[in-house]
Amino acid sequence: MAKQNAEYTTPAGLKVQGPPHLNKPKSQYTFFNFLNGFVFVIICLLIIVPIWKVLIDSLDLTTGYGMKILPTKFGLDGYISIFSNQSLLRPLWVSIYTTVAGTFLGLTLSTMGAYVLIQWDMPFRTMFANILLFTMIFSGGMIPSYLVMRGIGLTDNPLGPILLPAINVYNLVLMRNFFEGIPKSLFESADLDGCTPMGAFFRIALPLSKAALASIGLMFAVAYWNDYTNFKLYITDRNLYNFQMKLRDMIQSSDLPESVGGATENTIRNACVITAILPFMILYPFLQKYFVKGINIGAVKE
Amino acid sequence: MKKLVALMLALALCMSMVVISASAEETFKIVMMVDTTVVDQNNGRDAFEARWEELHPGFDLEIIQPDHSAYYDVMQQRMSSGDWPDVLILSSTYYADYAANGALWDMTEAWENSQTKNSGRFNGDNVFEGLKIDGKLYGFAPYRGNGCVTYVKKAWMDDCGITEAPTTYDAYIEMLKAFTAKYGTYAVAAAGFVGNEAPFVNYLPEFYQDAYPYFIQQEDGSWVDGFTQDNMKAAMQRIQDAVKDGLIDKETLTNTTADARNKFYDDKFGVFTYWAGTWATNLKTNLEANGKDGELIALKPLEGLPAYYDRVPPVWCITSKCSDPQKVFDAFIDTMLDGGDCQMLWTYGVEGVHWSKSAGTVLAGTEKEKTYEDGQFHMLENLEKEGTLYTKNHIDPMLSLASFADGYYDPKEDSVKPEAKAAAELFNENSRLAAIVPATPTLSELNGELTTLKGEIIADIALGNLSVEEGFAKFENEGGLEMSNEIVASLNELNK
Amino acid sequence: MASVTSNGTIRARKKPLLKRMSKYWGFYLMFIPVLVFVAVFHYAPMFGIRYAFYSWKIIGDPKWVGLANFEKLFSQSQFSVSFTNTIVFSVVKLLLNTGFAVIISLLLNEMISLKFKKLSQTIIYLPHFMSWVVTASVFSLLLSPSNSGLINQLLIKMGVISEPVYYLADKGWWRIWYYIINVWRETGWQTIIFMATLTGIDPGIYEAASIDGAGRWKKMRYVTFPALGNTIITVLILNLAKIMNLFESVFVLQNDSVKRATNVLQTYVYYQTFNAGASADYGYTTAIGLFRSLVGLALMLICNYASKKVRGRGIV
Repeated sequence: MAKQNAEYTTPAGLKVQGPPHLNKPKSQYTFFNFLNGFVFVIICLLIIVPIWKVLIDSLDLTTGYGMKILPTKFGLDGYISIFSNQSLLRPLWVSIYTTVAGTFLGLTLSTMGAYVLIQWDMPFRTMFANILLFTMIFSGGMIPSYLVMRGIGLTDNPLGPILLPAINVYNLVLMRNFFEGIPKSLFESADLDGCTPMGAFFRIALPLSKAALASIGLMFAVAYWNDYTNFKLYITDRNLYNFQMKLRDMIQSSDLPESVGGATENTIRNACVITAILPFMILYPFLQKYFVKGINIGAVKE
Repeated sequence: MKKLVALMLALALCMSMVVISASAEETFKIVMMVDTTVVDQNNGRDAFEARWEELHPGFDLEIIQPDHSAYYDVMQQRMSSGDWPDVLILSSTYYADYAANGALWDMTEAWENSQTKNSGRFNGDNVFEGLKIDGKLYGFAPYRGNGCVTYVKKAWMDDCGITEAPTTYDAYIEMLKAFTAKYGTYAVAAAGFVGNEAPFVNYLPEFYQDAYPYFIQQEDGSWVDGFTQDNMKAAMQRIQDAVKDGLIDKETLTNTTADARNKFYDDKFGVFTYWAGTWATNLKTNLEANGKDGELIALKPLEGLPAYYDRVPPVWCITSKCSDPQKVFDAFIDTMLDGGDCQMLWTYGVEGVHWSKSAGTVLAGTEKEKTYEDGQFHMLENLEKEGTLYTKNHIDPMLSLASFADGYYDPKEDSVKPEAKAAAELFNENSRLAAIVPATPTLSELNGELTTLKGEIIADIALGNLSVEEGFAKFENEGGLEMSNEIVASLNELNK
Repeated sequence: MASVTSNGTIRARKKPLLKRMSKYWGFYLMFIPVLVFVAVFHYAPMFGIRYAFYSWKIIGDPKWVGLANFEKLFSQSQFSVSFTNTIVFSVVKLLLNTGFAVIISLLLNEMISLKFKKLSQTIIYLPHFMSWVVTASVFSLLLSPSNSGLINQLLIKMGVISEPVYYLADKGWWRIWYYIINVWRETGWQTIIFMATLTGIDPGIYEAASIDGAGRWKKMRYVTFPALGNTIITVLILNLAKIMNLFESVFVLQNDSVKRATNVLQTYVYYQTFNAGASADYGYTTAIGLFRSLVGLALMLICNYASKKVRGRGIV
């Protein structure tokens, strides 16, 4: 496999003339493309059906057991009772704050670590790699982790859930994988031009890895946004709860017998599930442009 | 503006420091750890704390309150750090365990001499008997554990021309058959053919009757495994027949409690054994929201059947690291059911925050809008959830183990919905406590596997994959009987 | 690449270590924060691994028991079944999810309509955001043997089956649906990493291939797939390390009927603890954790070794 790759890697370094990749000739309306589109229509339908059930239930003021195409009695009361919750605003801010700060920190650590790990000739590189991998497999356990967090003052501290997940070896190794795809020649010529490691990091590694940064960043963001375990274990002060904790709280208490306005327990529970997906639906289109098109390395080199 | 704020902050800081340094000398601090059964920070916990301290001059209450689902993780973390709270709430498992390991203060004597026990208002002697471990009491329960009663949809009975609620098993089965014939659907559904924790049979009591698939202590003190008794076989036959006849939903196997409730609201079935008390109201409200008739009839245990099962309630314990346990007992535990202001606080919360007696209109709850006159008790709107009312604080008024003192106003009549009260009273009159089975090393080792096997046998028989005889033969062949006997032997060993 | 590395190493060995290191001082500096983080959050709590050899009920002092915790684990009669299940479920699930993710990524990459591509991407990621509990409750409805069960109704209409099947109560069907549900939930999310790899391919390579007269299949075969190869192997090996963590997806889909046949190590231990009538012994819990780590380590080392043999280097 590596050999095949190498065959075409050489021309990549060269400056290639010609039309951009996506301006393909007319032949695009082929049978393959039609079939491909059709396959995705089916896939999307299969994926949507179960989610549809939740969505419809969240908009239905009656409680049914089976599948419905449309709500029996439409109403937004489920969402209203979530968003009219007085104490939701603060957790929302906690979530935004931890997600933004955590994603930034996580990306910083992953890219720096990954960048160091592609220095194949660096003494102790393998040892560093193994130190990281070891933590993926072995862990101290719940109670010792708590004692350490408590010892350094990170319990009941919003920094705890930011700092703890920021080092993620899985993401770091994936990032290293992306950096590896950058032609070595670029780094070598940068070195010859007197560029420092830090300089090459900012001028070559990062700009050429936008898709990787977007995807790893997304993975961090989603992990931070959905983080529940760290808040559950290290935060007892309700003022520091994040959105996810609050939503779980609401799902749980919708199970409790309390007379609720127009929304039934089932409506609220399903509305909570949909609400948890919403931020991603809002965020994702902004990231998507990084996933669409490749980066012409020749152009960067110039 | 900024300067002003800074100045005020500084001032506030100085003042609070003065207060702290002044009070630190005189007050006795009690650190308590509790789950979210007490109002939380967003629901006026500060007011609760302030009111408690007002009622207990000289005491300073510090509350540690982890998230409900994290309570036992955080509690264990805290205990492992050696920084123990003075009082904490524990489930029966941890209670028995911690007591056995000497982590809890023996409150037997304190309880015998307590005001609560000797007040004449206390009605939970049977509950407390169940809480004793080797005759010693390490925890205090202010309320019952609650349990399930069987509700029947009145509208369904009317439709089928049934005028009297069934009182015998035969009449009950006749009713189920009538429902099934009339609506073409099953009549009963539950979450699981057998529960996963004590009291295992509480969702299908009419079919299990006197059978109990777990270890039971007989009158002479010896233990048996209820699963191996003959009445268990009869119970399994009843369940198998009922599933085969379409009376019980066969999906009972995979139903979650939420599934079962949703099916009930959707009129998929008509007889539902579920929690007594406030749940009666909740079932009714949800049925009505669905445009269905919400009237439910709570059945008394059928003739010849034992009473409904009560769960073991969580208990308040004083840790052995507490500097003055007797003092904490007197101030904290013995006042919880004092029949007066303190009981009011633990039951309904803080006046003006959770409930009120002053005139006003409350725009909340199922009544939508209700005006109260001055002096009329009513719960207030939830601080967090618009459109809902508070129903209680820590103690459910329907499950409380002590009544209010004579002459002290008990708002129960005004705060509790009639259907909830009816169901709760029916339950309280017809319930018994599911006993705690002591954990022997043999039980701890084998019971996980044994319980899983029992569950599979029950499911196999219920779904008709195996006959009752085949099912119990499988139990024996797969080593179930052997494990069961070993555990029984280890339990009987305790008696010696 | 392999030859460059080994050449470099051979050349470098001639210089003294400090001199070689001094060339990289900037990189060492950059690695310090990473080391600090792993030291504090991962290595510091590892003192807790010693509890695997103790009996400890949180309260009171830990009691040294040697290997008793491990003996207890291995002597459980259902241990081998649940251990095998863990490996089988994880590996099949991992291969299916990754396989589908790769296929979907390749197909997405070929898609012409940009709008539809974006829409499809957004939709296939969605299931990842539903918790396992919700996923299980929705699927148990879809798979219901009653008239509410969409899948049974559909199959009956299509004439595939004549009677509704209670899939989740049947040990054989349960496994099949377990894999399908996992593919439904995780495949889309896994494509993120493959899509990013694909977009990382220099369009120049495609153009060069076009100039050489390569068609769609040839380009896919010789350019796209090799570029993905590295990522696929990395993802597979990294996930192997986590194989033994399998718990929630199995737990939420289990019921009394299939529990014994479908238990994985973690669910098995859960039921054991839950029914023990006493709180869990923290030492025993830790011992199980350590055992899982060791299995993960072994699997990862084997695959890393295989990777070295085949590709000339390991995953990091």
